[in-house]
Amino acid sequence: MASDARRRAAIFAVAWRAPLLIWQGSFFIGALGFLTVMSFWLVKNYRMEPAFVFQNWERILARPFFWDAFWRTLGLASLGTLVISVLAFPAAYTIGLVLSPRAQRLAIFLLVIPFFTSYLVRAYAWQIILADRGILNFLLSWLGIPAVSMLNTPAATLVGYATLTLPLVVVLQALSISSIDRRLIEAAYNLGCTRLRAISMAIVPLARSGLIIAAVFAFILCYGDFVAPYYLGGSLPPTLSILIVDTAKSGQQWPRSAVVAITMIGVLMAVSFVAMRLVYGRRR
Amino acid sequence: MSDPLLELRGVSKRYGAHSAVRNLDLVVNPGEFLAIMGPSGCGKTTTLRMMAGLEQPDEGDILAAGQRVNEVPPHQRDIPLVWQSLALFPFLNARENVEFGLRMRGIGRTERRSRALDWLDRLGVREFAERPVDTLSGGQRQRIALARSLITEPPILLLDEPLSALDANLVIRMQALLIRLQRQLGIAFVYVTHSQSEAFAMADRVVIMGGGEIVQIGSPKEVYRLPSTRFVAEFVGRNNIFDGKVVAVNGGEMSVATAIGPLVVLACDLDPGTSVTVVVAADSLQPCLPGERPNTLACSLISEEFVGSMVTLFLETSDGTELKVQVPERQLGAFELKGDGLLTVGFLPQDAHVLRT
Amino acid sequence: MTGPRLDTLWLKAYVGLALAFVFAPIAVALVFSFNSSRFPTLPLQSFTLEWYEDVASNPELISAFGRSALVALLVAALSTAIGFATAYTDYRFSFRGKGFFVALALLPPTIPSVIMGLAMLAWLSRLAISGTIAAIVVAHTVICIPFATAIIRLRLSEMDAGLELAAWNLGASPWTAVRTLVLPFARRSLLAAMALTAAVSFDEYAVAWFVSGLQKTVPVVVLEILTGNVDPRINAIGAIVFVTSMSLVIAAQILIGRSSQKSGTAE
Repeated sequence: MASDARRRAAIFAVAWRAPLLIWQGSFFIGALGFLTVMSFWLVKNYRMEPAFVFQNWERILARPFFWDAFWRTLGLASLGTLVISVLAFPAAYTIGLVLSPRAQRLAIFLLVIPFFTSYLVRAYAWQIILADRGILNFLLSWLGIPAVSMLNTPAATLVGYATLTLPLVVVLQALSISSIDRRLIEAAYNLGCTRLRAISMAIVPLARSGLIIAAVFAFILCYGDFVAPYYLGGSLPPTLSILIVDTAKSGQQWPRSAVVAITMIGVLMAVSFVAMRLVYGRRR
Repeated sequence: MSDPLLELRGVSKRYGAHSAVRNLDLVVNPGEFLAIMGPSGCGKTTTLRMMAGLEQPDEGDILAAGQRVNEVPPHQRDIPLVWQSLALFPFLNARENVEFGLRMRGIGRTERRSRALDWLDRLGVREFAERPVDTLSGGQRQRIALARSLITEPPILLLDEPLSALDANLVIRMQALLIRLQRQLGIAFVYVTHSQSEAFAMADRVVIMGGGEIVQIGSPKEVYRLPSTRFVAEFVGRNNIFDGKVVAVNGGEMSVATAIGPLVVLACDLDPGTSVTVVVAADSLQPCLPGERPNTLACSLISEEFVGSMVTLFLETSDGTELKVQVPERQLGAFELKGDGLLTVGFLPQDAHVLRT
Repeated sequence: MTGPRLDTLWLKAYVGLALAFVFAPIAVALVFSFNSSRFPTLPLQSFTLEWYEDVASNPELISAFGRSALVALLVAALSTAIGFATAYTDYRFSFRGKGFFVALALLPPTIPSVIMGLAMLAWLSRLAISGTIAAIVVAHTVICIPFATAIIRLRLSEMDAGLELAAWNLGASPWTAVRTLVLPFARRSLLAAMALTAAVSFDEYAVAWFVSGLQKTVPVVVLEILTGNVDPRINAIGAIVFVTSMSLVIAAQILIGRSSQKSGTAE
């Protein structure tokens, strides 16, 4: 009787666990696992063959243009993360501390909407805005300022990154800031901090974890993004994501693409690891 | 005559429809220990926050050394506050917390470090200087919070129920520390609390607040023995309160008719027919023999409460009126409770305090 | 807090600027979708619906929209179902390896979609379903499960843990308790999860591009148009896509907001 009940309880537990394990196991882990395995395979006559060779790794890692793309991607993503984090902060500060609860919820509601709305079409729309005869230059000429050629520059890539990540970063920062114990901020004022100083001396240290996590998400998104560097940044010189797409498009060189992909995952894991140490490290 | 350190004139503060503070007049003198007491929601914390500049009064003026400071932002007022939650910065260690105020004033690193260590030493917590503050006990954190506020040597310190989170034995020690510090430094303390024992143990003057207004200001003894309203009588000390009407005046004494019978109290210029409230402190109502005192009441014992060396007896008269009697614990045995728990208690006319209702 | 009012005004204006930046491309696409000029330049010319008519009469686009809708629906259903099972597991059980389980549930968004696309292409080819609708559904579900899980888990954390225990105590089997207590309680969050995952799937371009083959979804068509010459239809397509996904996201947010207002009670 008892073992019967225990068995039923076990079935209940396993039944609820199973869907995720089966699905992600088969498709998520399966796909990524195969990606790793595939990076050691050979391509002969436009077909892939199972093997265990380091040829793909050697080929890719030996090429200077791979490393150009590697550093370029890292640099762009880091710059993007920095710029976006800084630009997001005043908005997050306002939403988290200055606005009334109602206005706060409205602002977050509005920010969430575009984040889940076709990034691709939004990036295309920025193409329209930033084009040489686009909206931005139209406005500038109307104000008497000479036209800027923004498309196909790293700046345009950053605009694309911002379109992708700004809502997320502002919301995460704002949530983190608004959860600070107000009395600690008041204590800072009470002990002589102006509003501005209180930001660097109290608010940033107190919201540190949230700010770091927001930056990590932004980095991950920017690092892997294909659309901004390709459609807004001019696609040359390429980022790693562009390399993957190009290599995969041109005739079955999936193993080579896999090498690039796994390198990217490696970088992202390293960055996340460092970030988590920064967030949780002090305690130890 | 010098200006008072801090003065509130006609200060009011509203939150929506609710008046937290109403038309408050208060003066803080240099070097005094002022306690502000009252039940939750009486406006005492709001008053403190307005002094610190964390809230703006809707009406009235706040003056520091004679100058109006309503518009002065909190970081420019030299009026540190010790929070109930202490509000120590978790990302700084003890010493860095203490240094904070000096850092804001641009004091150099070596000087502020040595001053911080000096203060930590003074408060007996030097050994914890480099420790993160959340690894320390309540009492240690309390001292660090004090050091942090006092290091700038302000003329006045605000404290918002700082001892409410501490264990009872710690509270006694901290009270002694606070009194000692206050006397040594000669600065004014404005101490908000809902605990009578704290206020009476430490303060020179006590302010009783209720419903956003000041109800009574006086020395602890005055407030305790001579409450000016029924509210104060109920809030402070252990008092027996009887409502009644003056019946007759005979020379120096007056007779008041109450629900428990006629009471004889000292006359105080009131005509017969006036409604009054008679307040008898629990330690003025004592066990006695019937007729031994001008006012005696027969009652039965409900329960006893030991508070250290004093015992409070909770008694009930035959018609259900509750009485409180406080006797030293040692004397408990000196009078006999009859087998059925019946007792007679009484008070002298001069021990009763009469209020006009 | 004391402080000059001017400060606050500037700060609020900054938030307005941020919102304007974020909504600008959406507004631009909407406006230009009605612009009669072929080229997306200012000043605007006359109002026209011809691009929408073009889209509506294009069989390739119509079937792409249909495909996107079908995929979104299937993905929403699957990922919400699996998401519920996952959220419930996290809520009710503790077991060895739970950390790994939760990580598995939440990890997909940390993998860039281009990499997921490549991995899915290779793996699903191996499983011989690449280039079919099933492939897109499978891949999108992998991506969407974390979102569904998070939304539902949030709602479940508002449930009194004692409710299920009380039900068991009164004789209900655990399955019955879930059916009669937990599911109704989480109903709005389930709908929100479906709306949000539908939106995510509808807009997903990278993985879809890799695995859809000839079964193109709308974003894949958009990608193709983008690499060609200037095509004014794209604004109209974009506008339709925006309106669809914005509606879904707004619906999801409203559902999440409403459901936590009735926190603690079964609906």
